[in-house]
Amino acid sequence: MTSTKLFNTEQPGASKRSGFSTEGYKLGKRVNVSLYYFCLIIFSLIILIPFYWLVKSALSNQEQILKSPPIYFPNPTLENFGILSEQVPLVRFITNSLIFSIFSALISVFISFLAAYAFARIQIKGSGLLQLLLVLSMSLPEIALIIPLYRILALLKMLDSLVGLILVLSSVLAPFTVWVLISFIKQVPYEIEEAAIIDGASILQVIFQIVMPVTAPGLVTMLVINFINGWNNLLYPLTFASTEKAKTLSVGITYIFFARAPWGLPWNLVSTLGITMVIPVVILVMFSQRAIVAGLTRGAIK
Amino acid sequence: MQDSALTKDRASSRWERRRIITFAALVAPVFIFRLITAAYPILNTIWLSFTNMSMLNQTNEFVGFANYVQMTKDPAVRSGIGFTVGYVLVSTALQLVLGLLVALMLNASYRGRGFGRAVNLIPWAIPTIVAAYAFRWLLDDQFGLIPQWIFQITGHRPVIFISPFGAQSAVILVNVWKNVPFMAIIFLAGLQGVPLDLYEAAKVDGSNTWQRFWYITLPLVMPLVVTMSLFFVVWQLANFDLVYGLTYGGPGTATVTLALRIFQEGMLFYKFGYASAISVALLLLVGLVGLIGLVINRKVEINL
Repeated sequence: MTSTKLFNTEQPGASKRSGFSTEGYKLGKRVNVSLYYFCLIIFSLIILIPFYWLVKSALSNQEQILKSPPIYFPNPTLENFGILSEQVPLVRFITNSLIFSIFSALISVFISFLAAYAFARIQIKGSGLLQLLLVLSMSLPEIALIIPLYRILALLKMLDSLVGLILVLSSVLAPFTVWVLISFIKQVPYEIEEAAIIDGASILQVIFQIVMPVTAPGLVTMLVINFINGWNNLLYPLTFASTEKAKTLSVGITYIFFARAPWGLPWNLVSTLGITMVIPVVILVMFSQRAIVAGLTRGAIK
Repeated sequence: MQDSALTKDRASSRWERRRIITFAALVAPVFIFRLITAAYPILNTIWLSFTNMSMLNQTNEFVGFANYVQMTKDPAVRSGIGFTVGYVLVSTALQLVLGLLVALMLNASYRGRGFGRAVNLIPWAIPTIVAAYAFRWLLDDQFGLIPQWIFQITGHRPVIFISPFGAQSAVILVNVWKNVPFMAIIFLAGLQGVPLDLYEAAKVDGSNTWQRFWYITLPLVMPLVVTMSLFFVVWQLANFDLVYGLTYGGPGTATVTLALRIFQEGMLFYKFGYASAISVALLLLVGLVGLIGLVINRKVEINL
């Protein structure tokens, strides 16, 4: 519902056709449209060329990659995946990345949903101040907190563990998630909840049986956004994970990069791992483009 | 919000107390998380910056402002502050202009716009570290695609990561590539909020496209521009992944950012005290930008 509201932009075309179209105006419009296409093509090329380069390098062998001028369309080979899984515990990294991002998304959305409900529906003194504090905590640079976090995790025996990583990231993702979910909840009419409360429903029943189903689109949106954030996160696994027990793909790719071979950097392997990391998020984006945009803009525009 | 909640009901003190308890119970998880992983760490960072805590030297004493004095003499930190500020300002300016242009392109109506919008999300969605390596490889002086094309056109093969200027430009360009889409998404939503009758009225009055952009679109998205630049500046000041992957601070210390320096001192050399002092410098920088942003924000609001 939200996404349709934000993005039904059929208006310009529709209204343009309705009367102002003199000959000169039409011509101007045609020129305009081809200008748009020209820009769109340039824009898409700038965005897609790095991907072409990654895919091409991932499908080339070591010899094909070190050619100047480059081979634009190599004989595709999948041998890099084999070499890669010999050099790093690829399956382990993928599993860790999935566990890290899925659980961070679930936990952050769950706790944020509870808080967002309180902020949206229960008016008490100081609620505004708490919201402000939450938003301010979002602007703290993560890197500036990394040393105390390291020490806290060490104290809790959670260094080098996925649990520690998940807890830290869930907390980091929470403020933005609360912020977005508040606006999703406020959009739901209060009457149904009110009726349920009068009928004697408990607060948890109201939240989980009435509010959760109707705000499901918002929750899914934030799950997707937070999953992507977790999948892409480098800082926490890089600083807190010391063995392959908790290392993720993002740390794995820095390994490959820093493991210099005699002939230079193993770009075919870096590219292969890069593609492995990119494909899931690109698929996710293609399927939930509107939901993601709705969530991101909710955070920025009240 | 107005018709909200339990306010309508009798304000008996028992009811009131129950509401407060419910509220507290619901926000407690998030706030406990934030207390442990944000509030305490920030205070702890400030405290540590006055100590010489080091995991390797096994020291942990109060040293006053010694770390800060050392910092002013540390060439890597000094150039780090300069480059951090410079790259963030240049990046943000470019992102604002290009973000608005991309948003205008994605807001116009023509077939294929949906494709553009989908493509636009990709740089936002992919891991920064992968983008950094992809461009490092794309710009590789021997086998990279871009230097090859430049060579074919000009007959001269640029060596990007050897020169400070080349490396610094690369950091800025990749940063712009990665973040313009996000800026464009926000601007697009802002553009869609501009009432269409304004354009129609202006069209009837005989305005041209440029005038409509300058006198209607721009003033209306201006508050958004200010908010977004503030957000982007604060956020990019602390960015770590990009420089870590693309240049690792090189050549020399030409592209060292404060974030990278904190990571190196803290997590590679385990000088917790010194790294904390740099963290405090970064925090002050973020706070300063926040203040400036708030002042500008207020001015823009008044002008409207």
